[in-house]
Amino acid sequence: MKFAVVVFPGSNCDHDAYHAAKHVLGQEASLVWHKETSLGGADAVILPGGFAHGDYLRTGAIARFSPIMAEVTAFAAAGGPVLGICNGFQVLLEAGLLEGAMLRNRSLHFRCEHVHVRVEQSDTPFTLLCRIGQTLRIPIAHGEGNYYAPPDVIAALEVNRQVIFRYATADGEVTDGANPNGSTNNIAGICSRERNVVGLMPHPERACEPALGSADGLIVLESAVAAMKRGGFPKALDLATEGVLRK
Amino acid sequence: MRARVFVTLKPSVFDPQGTTVGEALHTLGYRRVTDVRQGKYFELEIDAPSVDDARRIAAEAADRLLANPVIESYRIEIDAAAGVPR
Repeated sequence: MKFAVVVFPGSNCDHDAYHAAKHVLGQEASLVWHKETSLGGADAVILPGGFAHGDYLRTGAIARFSPIMAEVTAFAAAGGPVLGICNGFQVLLEAGLLEGAMLRNRSLHFRCEHVHVRVEQSDTPFTLLCRIGQTLRIPIAHGEGNYYAPPDVIAALEVNRQVIFRYATADGEVTDGANPNGSTNNIAGICSRERNVVGLMPHPERACEPALGSADGLIVLESAVAAMKRGGFPKALDLATEGVLRK
Repeated sequence: MRARVFVTLKPSVFDPQGTTVGEALHTLGYRRVTDVRQGKYFELEIDAPSVDDARRIAAEAADRLLANPVIESYRIEIDAAAGVPR
């Protein structure tokens, strides 16, 4: 399987994602500069964390107009799995590939710490191997992760089961105290209506090896690999419905 | 001519920065400042034949880039006398 990791000027988690895909999971991976116009035949695309274009104007607002984004949009429209991590999530929101927007954290603090997220849905290419209700311990590092959407959009996201990750306690309890940024409904990650585009603020790629303090994030990229082995998404949905669980 | 574009968070959207600035003003003793909303201000120099044309270009720029319609709204003022004369 081949991962394409898009590199914007200011991306700083591109090599983390590349390392996780290539060296931890043993898959093919390539770094794709934002001015490229081809994803090089990739099976999955990762928009990494960082501060694309210095977060000027709004997070992700300039990056959405990078030449490669037309390819990413076409890839997503064709059903290809796209994962936006942190700043990558913000780019997906600005590009309209996911609904909603990010506000400053309610505390105004840049939060950089390990948090727990509860997996809410397993039928996406990046959560296929997860059990619903499973908690993952993965780090966050952001100043603008306070997810916002108008009430009608939030309601639709909930009805369509598009909320994929929620901030929770270690026991999986969704509480205000476990919400690091003020996100509506403790939302840490969502997917598109077609479920192939996923964005989340926490960094699974930084939690793929025990030496990093947690390997809980590995299951996110492992899910994409498993999906590809089963004929791609959504063909691989039987994995989720069978309740396949590796951990 | 010059377009002035004021981008502000919609009234329904929480503004953590504005709230914090308001609290700082209270600390300074400005008790009569009851609310602060923080926004962005842009000046666009536009080569356009008419005020309407400049306004249309500024609105398109705001719709596409300067403002995020999910959380922000904007207001445009056109100053026909400002900027480089045609």
